[in-house]
Amino acid sequence: MPDLVWFLIRRLFATVLVLLALSLAVYLIFYALPADPARLGCGKPCTPDRLEQARHFMQLDQSTIQQYLAFLRGIVVGRTYGEGGAAVHCDAPCFGYSFPLARPVTTLILDRLPITASIALGAAVIWLIVGVSLGVGAALKRGKLFDKLAVGLALIGVASPSFLVGLLAILVFGFWLNMVPVNGYVPFTESPVDWAWHLIMPWLVLAALSSASYIRLTRAQMLEEMNLDHVTTARAKGAGERRVVLVHGLRGVLVPIVTIFGLDLGSLLGGAILTEKVFSMQGLGELLISGVSQVDVAVVVGVTLFSAFLVIIANLVVDLLHGVLDPRVTHG
Amino acid sequence: MADRPVLEVHDLHVTFRTEGGLVPAVAGIDFAVAPGKTLAIVGESGSGKSVSSAAVMGLLPSNADVKGEVLLDGRELVGLPNDELRKIRGNDIALVFQDALSALNPYYSVGWQVAEAYRLHHDVSKKEALERAVRMLDLVGIPAAKARAKDYPHEFSGGMRQRVVIAMALVNDPKVLIADEPTTALDVTVQAQIMRLLEDVQTEFGTALVLISHDLGVVAEVADDVLVMYAGRAAEHGSVKDLFYRAAHPYSLGLLGAMPRVDVPPRHRLTTIPGSPPSPGSVKTGCPFQPRCAYTERVGERCITERPELTPRPGEGNHEAACHLGRRPEVAP
Amino acid sequence: MTEASSKSATPKDELLRLDGVKKYFGLGTAPWQRSQSVKAVDGIDFVVRRGETVGLVGESGSGKSTLARLSTRLLDPTAGKVSIGGQDVTKWRGRRLRPVRRKIQMVFQDPQASLNPRQSVGTILTTPFRAQGIRPTRAQLVELLSQVGLSEEHLERYPHEFSGGQRQRIGIARALAVKPDLLVCDEPVSALDVSVQAQVLNLLADLKDELGLSYVLVAHDLAVVRQVADRLAVMYLGTIVEEGPAAEVYSSPAHPYTRALLSAVPVPEPGAVRDRIVLTGDVPTPIDPPSGCPFRTRCYKAEDVCATTRPVLEPVAGGDHRAACYFPEAPLELSNPPLSERTQ
Repeated sequence: MPDLVWFLIRRLFATVLVLLALSLAVYLIFYALPADPARLGCGKPCTPDRLEQARHFMQLDQSTIQQYLAFLRGIVVGRTYGEGGAAVHCDAPCFGYSFPLARPVTTLILDRLPITASIALGAAVIWLIVGVSLGVGAALKRGKLFDKLAVGLALIGVASPSFLVGLLAILVFGFWLNMVPVNGYVPFTESPVDWAWHLIMPWLVLAALSSASYIRLTRAQMLEEMNLDHVTTARAKGAGERRVVLVHGLRGVLVPIVTIFGLDLGSLLGGAILTEKVFSMQGLGELLISGVSQVDVAVVVGVTLFSAFLVIIANLVVDLLHGVLDPRVTHG
Repeated sequence: MADRPVLEVHDLHVTFRTEGGLVPAVAGIDFAVAPGKTLAIVGESGSGKSVSSAAVMGLLPSNADVKGEVLLDGRELVGLPNDELRKIRGNDIALVFQDALSALNPYYSVGWQVAEAYRLHHDVSKKEALERAVRMLDLVGIPAAKARAKDYPHEFSGGMRQRVVIAMALVNDPKVLIADEPTTALDVTVQAQIMRLLEDVQTEFGTALVLISHDLGVVAEVADDVLVMYAGRAAEHGSVKDLFYRAAHPYSLGLLGAMPRVDVPPRHRLTTIPGSPPSPGSVKTGCPFQPRCAYTERVGERCITERPELTPRPGEGNHEAACHLGRRPEVAP
Repeated sequence: MTEASSKSATPKDELLRLDGVKKYFGLGTAPWQRSQSVKAVDGIDFVVRRGETVGLVGESGSGKSTLARLSTRLLDPTAGKVSIGGQDVTKWRGRRLRPVRRKIQMVFQDPQASLNPRQSVGTILTTPFRAQGIRPTRAQLVELLSQVGLSEEHLERYPHEFSGGQRQRIGIARALAVKPDLLVCDEPVSALDVSVQAQVLNLLADLKDELGLSYVLVAHDLAVVRQVADRLAVMYLGTIVEEGPAAEVYSSPAHPYTRALLSAVPVPEPGAVRDRIVLTGDVPTPIDPPSGCPFRTRCYKAEDVCATTRPVLEPVAGGDHRAACYFPEAPLELSNPPLSERTQ
């Protein structure tokens, strides 16, 4: 166990370092851009005087490094913009304040997260089930019709752009057949049925495309696994084919699938940008896109860091799961 | 052979359907082994010795065609539905592989794996199966078997892993044990331990052993009968003494001469067999060994045109060789 | 092969000399792992003289392959001195090692893995010349091939077109390209069929006669080593436990481990009555080897003294034959091979 504790300490330390480096990089990139957030926020007519005021209020008149340090301090102790009655306060942990949206970034992210999480988790469950079962099936029926169909499907899925498939789906099922709602989001707590009903299209579209790579991955891993000696041993022991596949073959495929799944899910939770856009869902991806277009640096930095954080956490979870799934792995 | 054989193989053919056409890996071999006895199948790569054992177990891939008879206690196994074969595999006939590390599933504890083999053929609780597994692990000489049953294959040494594989093979008291190069991956001191263990098991349970090996030293030590295979066919067959002291096939003789010995001072040069073993199915007519044989000139055309059949040779009874050379070849051609 | 024997030999005759060489592999760099290391080679003196074939035997984990790689400077020793051709090359790196590499070449176990599948035999054989800044002529390449029993037609072919034995011949030809004095062969025949193995062993013997080569032959197969070795060194857990003229060590092993090892090798002699010493247990882990004599945990002669200090190599029955044991076996009569009391 001390090995595991050391491992966690090391990894958390590395996580903090990565996030620091990343946030600094995002800051520097956005301040190198010609666009000026203060100009967008200063209203009309934008006199030099007002511009200067806006700059000062947004604390943009400090040097880039000072701003960055203020950002870091804000995470720990919170942050206040301006003085007196006009002051805007942002509680710790403060990941910046969005002036165009007039809300702290932390609040924005927490508001949007349930939507993105709903899309991502639902889709992930579907594509995991579909991808793995089709992949296993294809591997077992190698060279037969089922295999060819599954591989063909996977090829189409990998090659299709998600916005195109999404728009087509909206057109066909939403408008022509009028079967499902084409946009909007109902919180799970309000009505689980409506929640699922509104999400079914984004789920299916996203899952259809992601299952493709899971079919291919599972099939390849399964073919490899079924050729290993210990699978032959299982047959030689007298195990039936179903047991050979499910208990002995699939067990080894679990590790690579969990790896990819963890990473995919981690990055998807940071925002399913195209899917959210196509289905007009106000998720994290949509927040990021609008932040970029409005030069809302606080939002961009906040969402980027949050996404990065999720990916890093996903990585950590995957590594820990390896220790559980594969007895040969030790965290040293 | 006093006892009736428990396993008999007659005219076994194995052909693989591949993209390049039909590849005959085994082209008509016969062998039999009686309870408590050991038959060694000797041959180099591509001789078909491993394919033969997989065919007996019904473990060949689906592109393999098996013809001939495999009789277990008189019961025909070739053509049995998979469900029936499944009941025999691991129960009446068990297999021990060369590489114990890859033969064991890395994701399950060794106790679980041995217990699984038992549960597959016995209607017992998991707990009972595990108790049986621990007894087997103890029997094959794993110290602190009860505690070690919880460990995973990678936590064992090579020799201990091979003991686990043997315990797994023996857990159902099989009548026949097929061991495919069981000691090749092991160090020589460990090999000695494992061979002794297999002998003990045979004496205690009367298990018939089919030992597939390329190591003539091991064969000399444990075999009662030997089948020498070359290019998917039997080159020679006989008692272990027939083979080592009265070898009738030039290939058998070549193998014996090519093997360096640890127990006598070295000769200046080893006798060699020129060339290398043919790939399966590449020899269409005549004697498959003819291109490498030193005696072809003495026999003449026949070696190229006519395939030699097994014919009786002087020896302890069942000594046979497939060679046109009527008399015994001299040592070191 | 240390003080006593090396005085008689001039450094010029010593192609390779290792003094007190150790190689520890660290298990990790984390603070709690620093103290743990695999002691693969743990203090070895080893000399190879011109014209001799030294067999290096031992079981897996004995450190014989590590020793081979230290000898060819493919690995840096943790401690000790490596001298090649009388020069201390322990600290040499990169470019400076080139002339050394010319003197010592290595032949690997798995010819399949050590030959680049995308290169023709011609290209494979050209590489060692290039490394020495030479452009070989076609005639030189053909000459190389003929030395190992292959011919000009093989130059344009690729490794997969050859059998295992032929591939090993190509591996040997590649090693011979720079005209080395010493070939270090790591399990050169263990991946080959018996009939092919004999061909390669004979080839090695022929090359020795023709080119005056010396060999270090690393192998687990004691019969193979007996066939070609002039001297023998037996390794156990990173140390040499016995060494001496091969004929003497094989016929009259002094160290209990050597005796057990030799007695365990099966001989092709059905019905032979053999006095086999079956060792119990496994080789201990090289991370934490036993105190004193490394073999004491499995030894049938071990006593209290064996656990105190590690025994050093000392002459048995005079001469060159030495063993590191407090209770060496008495020499057997040379004319009577101890291992096969034939009944036939």
